[in-house]
Amino acid sequence: MPEFKIQHITRYTYDGMVRDSANQIILFPIVDANQDVLKHDLTITGNPLVDTHIDYYGNEVGSFTYLEQHNRMVINSEVLVVTHAKELPSETTPAATQWQKLSALQNIVPYIDFLKHDYFDALPDLIAVIETEKQAEDTPYQTALRFCEYVYRNFEYLPGVTTVETTIDEVLQLKAGVCQDFAHLLVLMLRLLNIPARYISGYICPNHNGMRGEGATHAWAEVYLPDYGWLGIDPTNNCIANETHVRLAVGRNFSDCSPVKGVYKGSWGHKLEVKVSVEYKDQPTAIIDAEKLPSNSFIQATEAEEFSTNSYQRYKEAMLLQQQQQQQ
Amino acid sequence: MYKSAHFSEYNAVNGVWDEMYSDNSSIRDHYQRVIEYLSKESTDNLNKKEDLARRLFMTQGITFTVYNSGEGIEKIFPFDIIPRIITASEWNFVEKGIKQRLTALNLFLKDVYHNQFIIKDGIVPIDVIYSCPHFLREMYQVDVPHDIYVHIAGIDLIRDEHGAFYVLEDNLRTPSGVSYMLENREITKRLFPDLLPQCNVRSVTEYPTILYKNLLALSPRQISNPTIVLLSPGIYNSAYFEHTTLARLMGVELVEGRDLVVNNHKVYMKTTTGLQQVDVIYRRVDDEYLDPLVFNPTSVLGVAGLMSAYRKGNVAIVNAIGNGVADDKAIYSYVPDMIKYYLNEEPLLKNVPTYQLRNADEREFTFANINSMVVKKTNGSGGYGMLMGHAADEQEIEDYKKEILKDPRNFIAQPTISLSAAPCYIQGMLQPRRIDLRPYALCGPDGIEIVPGGLTRVALKEGSLVVNSSQGGGSKDTWVLA
Repeated sequence: MPEFKIQHITRYTYDGMVRDSANQIILFPIVDANQDVLKHDLTITGNPLVDTHIDYYGNEVGSFTYLEQHNRMVINSEVLVVTHAKELPSETTPAATQWQKLSALQNIVPYIDFLKHDYFDALPDLIAVIETEKQAEDTPYQTALRFCEYVYRNFEYLPGVTTVETTIDEVLQLKAGVCQDFAHLLVLMLRLLNIPARYISGYICPNHNGMRGEGATHAWAEVYLPDYGWLGIDPTNNCIANETHVRLAVGRNFSDCSPVKGVYKGSWGHKLEVKVSVEYKDQPTAIIDAEKLPSNSFIQATEAEEFSTNSYQRYKEAMLLQQQQQQQ
Repeated sequence: MYKSAHFSEYNAVNGVWDEMYSDNSSIRDHYQRVIEYLSKESTDNLNKKEDLARRLFMTQGITFTVYNSGEGIEKIFPFDIIPRIITASEWNFVEKGIKQRLTALNLFLKDVYHNQFIIKDGIVPIDVIYSCPHFLREMYQVDVPHDIYVHIAGIDLIRDEHGAFYVLEDNLRTPSGVSYMLENREITKRLFPDLLPQCNVRSVTEYPTILYKNLLALSPRQISNPTIVLLSPGIYNSAYFEHTTLARLMGVELVEGRDLVVNNHKVYMKTTTGLQQVDVIYRRVDDEYLDPLVFNPTSVLGVAGLMSAYRKGNVAIVNAIGNGVADDKAIYSYVPDMIKYYLNEEPLLKNVPTYQLRNADEREFTFANINSMVVKKTNGSGGYGMLMGHAADEQEIEDYKKEILKDPRNFIAQPTISLSAAPCYIQGMLQPRRIDLRPYALCGPDGIEIVPGGLTRVALKEGSLVVNSSQGGGSKDTWVLA
């Protein structure tokens, strides 16, 4: 029954003054039998009113606006979470029966959303990989672990080569990526075998060996197993995601779970820095001042891409193109 | 038969319902008066009227935009001076049929975003709904004012060779064209001032008044003067003329996304005297572009945070967000079942037989009979991206099949339908051309109202079956007789 103190800082620094900012945050850890939130402090630049609602997938989603001019925005979330280890599947049901049970879920809410995939160019190649990797006598649980290991062994963990917009085709070509890409790929491989699989965003808490994904938000997959329920598996660390993984949101993919996103008016350039620190409750704590933290202490830092040096032209093109939407 | 020159050449098309001629080549009663009147006019006079109509459209700026035409962005919508006439009993039937269909579609939208009874009972297959890109999970459990989703519908009707009315598509998102219904009537008044009262033609001019009344009734704030705005994508949109016209006729503000801002889950309009809270948005911007925070993040047309204001009930949006799941062409086939399911009634208006290309056997059938089929994208509109099997060559068909196989769910096929024909004044003569009919239904807290009339679109090219304005179609004034 570990207790974690988690601090998650998101800092936007803008090139110039911006205004009319609207934001959506999914930073509220899931509360269920295996996870409970003891305390949650959320501070945001400008102290906006955060309105929360429960989305289609059951996640708590916050939204807020900040109209005044500003050149940085910091979202500081401090949570005290207690987790309980979930017992692993006992696998008493024969494999064939389990597969049968899964095939009956295809057209049932909520599984239908976690079984669908879009068309992409490398689909036939990926199906070939699945055909080679899967073992005829495996249960869905064993298959999930096997695919998890496949992703772990065959894809290089390489921060910086991908972004939130990287497609599956690109990941398959690069053979590298970060937790988010690994989770997307594993989810897809399982869905292609008719195992419901969903995307999870959250935090990973350190153990003695050190884990990939520390210091930032993490992502992994959950599979649905007959007679058991959802089980977390982490292809980035090739392990079961259990009491050291704190869940923030579930969804079909990253965009359903995006921890922080926002839109603003003003100069095009911005820098996004994210830092997550996790400590066991009994460790001495050093809460960080989110406003003053130097840039080099952030793990995830992205610069908004310069699409075109002439942002006026870019805006004009977007206007022209989008206004021409066909009216019915 | 009338002797005058412009009637001598009229040859009704075989096997097609002619709105003017009955089977034994006599003029139907409801066309008698107009034809009598026209036959007294000289060709020269009618040509002058036609020319006047063209000039009136141009000088009043009644235009639409064809994208990528390479010409100036604004074109006039070709207008045929001969009205299309609908009898009182025909209209009565159409009106009942549309009200019935719209009632069921509204119930479907409420159901699909709340309890999903129709899915649980297996009336509409779940995978068709869950694979529809316009089924917006963001709308799940969101309550809309008075449970009205479709405030404005433009349901397209056609008539088969026996004159039976069929629904071709349900347009429930941003139906356009109503301004042409209004303008066509104004032009007819100029061309034939004494003919309208003589023929007992019902008026269509109440449309903006009814729409305004309905918009007012949706205001979440109980105040005497709520702020209503019409949100347009902007001047490059094909229907921008219509947006300006409707805003002017209703006396509401015409705005673009950049004129609005959301603060603390309320929508405000930027004015010279500061922010003014907005209560009702009649939007002509697609769902995808409405809120860059929740939908397409690259949208420059929307208002960031709008969805949260809408979810909290602080602003009413017309039509509701997420309606695309009800007018998806793959869902269309199930509308008659919806009518039976929700209303326990037999559908009055017929559906065109539709083949779902996601089903292998229906796909095989379509491919085998492609020359007599029209294949459409389930979420396309404006006649873009469809394949007319009888007119396409081998290569076009092969390319299109490849597209279909990539994502069969996104395509449906229908047998080529023989639209009815109506007389048009073309090159000094009356000639039959194919037409459809789009009446505009308005749904408010008091129920559904349909102004007697609509937009009759004409395929001006001889033999053509495509009436879309973007594909070279024109329009006619539409008379419903009292």
